[in-house]
Amino acid sequence: MTQSSNETWTVTIVVPEDSSLEEAGETYDLEVGADETILAAARSAGVWLPADCQQGWCTTCAARLVDGDVANPNARRYYDEDDEAGYILPCTAKPRTDTTVVVDQYDDFLEFRAANDRPPGNSKLDS
Amino acid sequence: MSDEKEHGSGSVAPGDTSKRVGAEVIRERGVDPEELREKLIDAIGAEFTTYYYYTNLRMHLAGEEDYKEITEDARLEDRAHFELVVPRIYELEGSLPNDIRDFADRASCPDAEVPTPMDDSGGFDTSDLAVEDILEVLLEAERCAIRTWSEICDMTRGADPRTYDMAQRILNEEMDHEAWFIELLSKERDDEINPAGHFARGEPGDAPYSTNNRFNDSA
Ligand code: FES
Ligand SMILES: [Fe+2]
Ligand SMILES: [Fe+2]
Repeated sequence: MTQSSNETWTVTIVVPEDSSLEEAGETYDLEVGADETILAAARSAGVWLPADCQQGWCTTCAARLVDGDVANPNARRYYDEDDEAGYILPCTAKPRTDTTVVVDQYDDFLEFRAANDRPPGNSKLDS
Repeated sequence: MSDEKEHGSGSVAPGDTSKRVGAEVIRERGVDPEELREKLIDAIGAEFTTYYYYTNLRMHLAGEEDYKEITEDARLEDRAHFELVVPRIYELEGSLPNDIRDFADRASCPDAEVPTPMDDSGGFDTSDLAVEDILEVLLEAERCAIRTWSEICDMTRGADPRTYDMAQRILNEEMDHEAWFIELLSKERDDEINPAGHFARGEPGDAPYSTNNRFNDSA
């Protein structure tokens, strides 16, 4: 696969209606470079998505991939079952095709991790 | 302006010890004190795990006395960050997890492990361990800490001056730490001069921002 840095993809960011973010209900189309993370592209376009570590660890940024494909090689804590269930971590995910993601999925993702006995699931939900 | 009147700090009845005005004033300014406190636990989970991991990283900088000293400053200051914020969690009616595994699992930053596999006898296989790889782990750990404390500054700005004050003190030191490791990694890996612009601490782990308002001598 070519990963030249001038290749870009259209990433559609869907903020759910019931999100607590100011952007609830909005949809944004962003041009994102193949070497750029979806989170960084969104924030620099003024779409302030939630994040913390920006190293693919904490899961604050969790999103659902509803269409397309991303690469996530630098995520520090990302499991096969996350991938299979269509969850991504936009702080480390870079587009490989035109892509649509539903953001602000942290709460659902914690439940999913807990159900799979993966961190930080139970350590957060039991408290 | 919030239209949720029932949580106003004025609603705490005189003599009622079941509620804290110290938390309700935050709520009436639009920040959920429970959500904030849980984020603080995650953040100091990361301070605590890095305090642990830096012990190991520092030790493996064998023969690099100057790197060891800087890493020791960063290590002790992470402990200071943990100590600074622990009381705040209890003020906001939270508590440290009883199980340290939960504390580590929920830490907001990655484990800063020695970047080398274990050998057959369960020790570190140090045959390919490079100083620059250790410095990179340290640098990325500091960068995570900067992001975490910046998020907490954002969350508390204009709503919770007490937590904001702690977060910005810690952030000051995390930015020092990043500058130190940029300087050291640039020199070690790229033979490039990239000055941090300041010296190491007066005494190991001085924590000039985060402990200049000590709660007690142990903190
Ligand atoms: S911001 Fe921590 S996993 Fe994305
Ligand atoms: Fe720290
Ligand atoms: Fe630090």
